[in-house]
Amino acid sequence: MRKWFVTWAAIVMVLVLAMPVLAQTPTPNEINAVARELWCPLCNGVRLDNCELQACIQMKEVIAQKLEAGESTDQIKAYFVTQYGDIVLGQPSREGFNLIVWLFPVLAAVVGLGWVTYLVLSWRKRQGQIGSAGGAPTSASATRRPGEEPDDYLKRVERELRESE
Amino acid sequence: MTENAPLTINDTQDSGSRPGRKVPAFAIVLGLGVLFLGGLLILMLIKPPQKALCDEAAPDLSLALFPEYTGGWTGETISLFDLRGKGVVLNFWASWCKPCEDEAAALEAAWRKYKDQGIVFVGVDYLDQDPAAKRYLEKFDITFPNGPDLASKISKRYAIRGVPETFFIDPQGTIVGCRKTGPLGDAELVQRIAEIMP
Amino acid sequence: MTDLGYIAILLAFLLCIYGIAVSVLGATRGRSELVASGRNTVYVVGGLVTIAAALMWRALLTNEFNNEFVATHSERALPTIYKISALWGGQAGSLLFWTFLACIMAASATWFFRREQASLKPWVNAVLLLYIGFFISLLLFAENPFNRLWITGAGEIAAGVFQPAGATALVPADGQGLNPQLQNYWMMIHPVALYLGFVGMTVPFAFAVAALITGQLGNTWIKLIRRWALAPWAFLTIGILLGSQWAYLELGWGGYWAWDPVENASFLPWLTATAFVHSIMIQERRGMLKVWNMVLIALTWELTLIGTFLTRSGVVQSVHSFALSAVGPMFAAFIIVTSLAFLGLMVWRLPKLKSENTLDAVMSRETSFLTQNVIFLLIMAATFLGTIFPSISELVMGDKISLNAPYFMRVNGPIFVALLILMGIAPLLAWRRSGPETLRRNFLLPVIAGLLSIPLMFALGNRNFAGFVGIATLIFVFAGIVQEYVRGVRARMTATHEPLPAALFNLVRRNGRRYGGYIVHIGVLLIALGIIGNEFYQLEGEANLRAGESITVGDYTLTYTRLDAVDGPNFTEFTSPMQLSRGGRDVGVITPKKHIYFKNQEQPMSEVGLRPGLLEDVYVVLAGWEGGGQTASFKVFINPLMSWMWVGGIVMMLGVLVSAWPRRTAVTADATRRVPGGAQHV
Repeated sequence: MRKWFVTWAAIVMVLVLAMPVLAQTPTPNEINAVARELWCPLCNGVRLDNCELQACIQMKEVIAQKLEAGESTDQIKAYFVTQYGDIVLGQPSREGFNLIVWLFPVLAAVVGLGWVTYLVLSWRKRQGQIGSAGGAPTSASATRRPGEEPDDYLKRVERELRESE
Repeated sequence: MTENAPLTINDTQDSGSRPGRKVPAFAIVLGLGVLFLGGLLILMLIKPPQKALCDEAAPDLSLALFPEYTGGWTGETISLFDLRGKGVVLNFWASWCKPCEDEAAALEAAWRKYKDQGIVFVGVDYLDQDPAAKRYLEKFDITFPNGPDLASKISKRYAIRGVPETFFIDPQGTIVGCRKTGPLGDAELVQRIAEIMP
Repeated sequence: MTDLGYIAILLAFLLCIYGIAVSVLGATRGRSELVASGRNTVYVVGGLVTIAAALMWRALLTNEFNNEFVATHSERALPTIYKISALWGGQAGSLLFWTFLACIMAASATWFFRREQASLKPWVNAVLLLYIGFFISLLLFAENPFNRLWITGAGEIAAGVFQPAGATALVPADGQGLNPQLQNYWMMIHPVALYLGFVGMTVPFAFAVAALITGQLGNTWIKLIRRWALAPWAFLTIGILLGSQWAYLELGWGGYWAWDPVENASFLPWLTATAFVHSIMIQERRGMLKVWNMVLIALTWELTLIGTFLTRSGVVQSVHSFALSAVGPMFAAFIIVTSLAFLGLMVWRLPKLKSENTLDAVMSRETSFLTQNVIFLLIMAATFLGTIFPSISELVMGDKISLNAPYFMRVNGPIFVALLILMGIAPLLAWRRSGPETLRRNFLLPVIAGLLSIPLMFALGNRNFAGFVGIATLIFVFAGIVQEYVRGVRARMTATHEPLPAALFNLVRRNGRRYGGYIVHIGVLLIALGIIGNEFYQLEGEANLRAGESITVGDYTLTYTRLDAVDGPNFTEFTSPMQLSRGGRDVGVITPKKHIYFKNQEQPMSEVGLRPGLLEDVYVVLAGWEGGGQTASFKVFINPLMSWMWVGGIVMMLGVLVSAWPRRTAVTADATRRVPGGAQHV
């Protein structure tokens, strides 16, 4: 019985003494893992882990403190947004005026590809209306029959040889 | 095409010389696009000048104070409206700003000298961090009200371009003169405070 | 003596005006002697600008600090090669250099085409002289490199070409030195390549304008300028890649492209130029997309101007940008006027720009070319908006927002994947229509290869979704290209009974455009490989070390040994050789450095310690040190597949050479010769 008690007491004591060691200061790598997702509010286009300004060094100190206190990356990021505004996020918020810059690419893609689709479909319809015989192209490449296809590369080579003579 | 024939603009081959030919839709769109873009480029060039805010009504501000640095103010936030009737020295600073350190002592000394004469110093901490800010305030033994400018709202309203910048606001809430960019010396402080004495 | 340079460009400016007038008159009145005079003007203007540039270089090399530009961008201790590159190290000098390159380009084009298309040439000359004249006007009226320094009677410093009354010449003992970021090997070549790309686009543009004015809108002008569009495109590509390499090796953040406004400014014309060099193929073969080609070349040319406007006018914040300047309004005016004028010309000639053929099917090469045009424009528009949006937001909302890499990657990333897939699909589609049999034959193997790569990567340990998508796409495209080569070689061997090497060689030689183009695509794939490696598989570590301590990132361990300091010509170089080992085995020494310039102590420059490799790069930055080297902090990156980006660039250039190589069947002499049947083979 006493042996058990001593063992457990020893374990508890070790754990208690180890606590400060367990709650270590975050390594530079851990700080950088958070800093990589933030951007310097003062300079343009410099990521926080690459920024050497005094203000950025202080921000990394704060990250270290917050990591030590057990905060998550998202919590830390939210804190900086309160302090500095959206400028630390590296991309504009998705609200208000900034919606323009997020919606525009989508709209442009839809319009652009939609227009191509419309063009192709309308030409196809026109082809169908003209009829098969009259308007159908007669050049070799379009009326290839399955069996002839392997010769396409061959034909090309033969054509070249003929022309070079 | 013959090589040296003169170019006749009214080439009869193309139908371009037909009057009243309709301009296709895409060309109009492109044309408008060019004009819009051109307008943008020009606008970007003629950047509206920085709001000078000289001799104008001071934009209101609401500053959440550092708990240890309320400077005797009761309440968690301080606003300009609350300070009507007193002359306000509004100072923008940051702990990472070297020139700010040059004026910190002068500001604190002036605060202590004038606080019973109806002058209030308010410090706005620009783009800064709590621990470093508090270290800075401790280092210079600052006792007047200070607080962080969260999301840079106040700095935007005052069109701050850098730190330190200081505004002198009279008891009626009007900025007297223009903003001071750069560290303040003792003599200049005295002179400008005299202008905002209640 | 440097003042003669000012007189030279003044003369050149007047001559440009003369040359434009004479060319236009000669063309409209049919007076060939006027046209000839206009052509000679190009050469004379070129000579004058060369004299001006030579005099500026002389001023830099002889330390003529009375000249404002030399005093502000050079110093006695600056190494000679940087004194030469200092010409483009500042706004006024780089504008002069730009003009100089434009003159070289214009003179070369004029001489190259001297026996061609006399009806187009006067207009080509006029446009070239207009371009050169505009840039000289920037020098004369906004940023003059020939300004000298004076002290006025009141003791103030003034700058100007002519001596103000009561002032004496100021000759500083030494200059302010060149920006430390510009004192490296890439400064010698990256701006030069980019500028050649930018000014080079004026030649195809000038021909487009000439074609519109003269109404010769068949394929003549397209065939003529194909190589003159490919060459500036190649220079732009090289310039952008060199810039990326510069960022990678000098800026020390482990990346190569920051979507910085000035970087984007060079990327925008590259996008439309790439679309253009592809799209003209369609016009050549099928007489389609004529309006598209006009729009694309005009957009490319205007974007080169808009790009340099963004860089030089101070409207966007960037690490690259020059200080605020008066050139902004002049650029804006030139861009707007020329855009509207070109649009007007195009609308006037619209009937002649009608397509000779129509799209026959969805699954046809024409459709994929049309789609690629749209996609390139889409990327260009999105990137352009992202670049200027912070300025717009500040204008409209008073709010400073940041638009950095996360935005661009999120928006452009998927579009680039789509583009890559298209790059793989297009060569496998037939012209006009691809029957289901064709589709099955052409797509079966590449698609299977692409899909098989997924379980393979999974087995190798990959769990990154973007990696799966990216690599599978690359494999699909690569398999398609290999398939094309294999079939072509096999067909040739069947027909001519040549051995494999000869068949391959002759295949490429006879079909330089097609197979050279495929080589360029392979280069693109290699660059994409480097991008995927860096973007999704990069490992990073940072540590503060005492002598003897190490940092481990991935498989590699780097040990800090010591910090040395040695003086260079105008800087102190701190080096820290580190012991590198991999998986326990010693691999060598890797040495990051830092330069601290005497005249610019706050701007230390990092020299990255790099160990490149086929599979990954080991990359270390000396971030800082304390106590004279007692402790030093390092940042280490492991960058997988990064070296393939540079290999890809070389492969692309090889492909361009193959594609643009002159062939015995002369294209120029019988430009209008038509192969019977209407089909022209590529």
